[in-house]
Amino acid sequence: MKLQADSLIRTYGTLNALDGLTLSVEAGVLVLIGPSGGGKSTFLRLCGGLDEATSGSLRINDTPLGHDPARLLEWRKRNGFLFQQFNLFPHLTALRNITLPLEKVHGQHPAEAVVTARRCLDRFGLLAHADKLPAQMSGGQQQRAGLARAIAPGPEILLLDEPTSALDPEMTAEVLELIQELAAAGQHIILSTHEMGFARAVADQVALIAAGKILESGPPAEVFGSPREEFTQRFLAKVMRFS
Amino acid sequence: MTPFVIVILSALAALVTLALVFTAVWRLWSPRAALEFAAALLLTALVCQGFWIIFSGLELERSSAALWKYRESLLLGWWVTLLVSAGSLIGSCLVAAVLVAGQRSALKSVRWFTQGFVEVVRGMPLLSLVLIGFYVVLNNRTISVALESVNLGGKLFAGILLLSVFTGAYLTEILRGGLESIPQAQLDSARAVGFDRRQVLRYVVFPQALRRVLPALAGQFVSLVKDSSLLMVIGVNEFTYQARAFYAATYLGVEAFLPLAAGYLLLTLPIAAFAHWLERRFKAATAG
Repeated sequence: MKLQADSLIRTYGTLNALDGLTLSVEAGVLVLIGPSGGGKSTFLRLCGGLDEATSGSLRINDTPLGHDPARLLEWRKRNGFLFQQFNLFPHLTALRNITLPLEKVHGQHPAEAVVTARRCLDRFGLLAHADKLPAQMSGGQQQRAGLARAIAPGPEILLLDEPTSALDPEMTAEVLELIQELAAAGQHIILSTHEMGFARAVADQVALIAAGKILESGPPAEVFGSPREEFTQRFLAKVMRFS
Repeated sequence: MTPFVIVILSALAALVTLALVFTAVWRLWSPRAALEFAAALLLTALVCQGFWIIFSGLELERSSAALWKYRESLLLGWWVTLLVSAGSLIGSCLVAAVLVAGQRSALKSVRWFTQGFVEVVRGMPLLSLVLIGFYVVLNNRTISVALESVNLGGKLFAGILLLSVFTGAYLTEILRGGLESIPQAQLDSARAVGFDRRQVLRYVVFPQALRRVLPALAGQFVSLVKDSSLLMVIGVNEFTYQARAFYAATYLGVEAFLPLAAGYLLLTLPIAAFAHWLERRFKAATAG
């Protein structure tokens, strides 16, 4: 997976969520770390084709992500996205949450979609919950089902925006384990997280985003082992204090 | 001993007996149970007295003869009310669909015009809307000729149309509230799985919004049935119109208006029951 971002700016009102973000990286798994409000989510939304840059250019695997709604829709269809929470549609069962996009977006036959969906749920240990509504499942189960929905169509890239931030430690471990499995199986992933141990273990490349810019990027051993920037050193010291 | 005393005494006797049985079997006796018992007794007496006041003047033979004589016009009135209600229910949904689309138009002028129309209709008493709509708008030569040319000239159609517009404006605001209550996270999720604009609305927003506004919609439909009675002012021969005609001919108030109330309840209670049933069914799906 090749990602090239050049002077990305995304403005919300008077706030520059991204303030000239530039990054050129090639990785199987790219992990974004950094303080909250630094621009990780905004950058991920741009990468997922859910939002558009105010200026600058973004190119992933040689696909430019511009402003054309039809091309952005195509891009969203090709990739999977998981948010912090509230991913699932609350009026549909876990199974239907997966089969509906398979049928309506990816043109699968309903019977075929059910087979695919059940296989994905089974893979994540959720087959027993297939007919449950989201409100009847735990937060961890919901997030795993969201992950199952995201990977069901076989996405080119999986984008995960702090996928465990709303979960307790036990559920966090359940979800991180699945993500690690997916990464090991060769799934291309861009994710943001506050779980530094996990970031270090799963990433090919790490990028630290703060104040809408990339402050530091490189292989995890470099960024975590010998950070160049003082900000990175302070940030890591702070977040790793109790781990 | 007047029949009134008989009623009270028998109710009292029934309650005392019941209470004694209860205490004997379950030993429920407590200050609270005593209070409960006294309240039940008082309310039973009140209801009995109410019935007594209303029905004491009733002469069964005369009443039933009069009702029998006018049965056809009263029944016809009920059918017209049912027809107007059903027609307006469908009509108001169509009106609301157009107005909701107008509210969500990409063009600012269309949005403003739609909202203005909704506010004007909602701010007006139905009575004045019906009078203006019928005597001013639909009676206009150009419009009435146009309607008659497609065989929609009658009062019945005018009534259905006006009630549809009135209820449609209310439905529009209910639906807007429902649509706006769907959290941004759901829209994001729906876009993220690759749904296009239409699919986001169809598969994610509408089903959830509809479940949320169901109680309000049902309430509005119940109101619609009751509001149809106002169409008598333009001479639609619906149920209230017929009941008043019956009263004017016979001066039998109880006989005219109690069946009227019962006839409306026969239409409105099933709607309310259906809405409660749907609500229970969708309870889990709307949580969280």
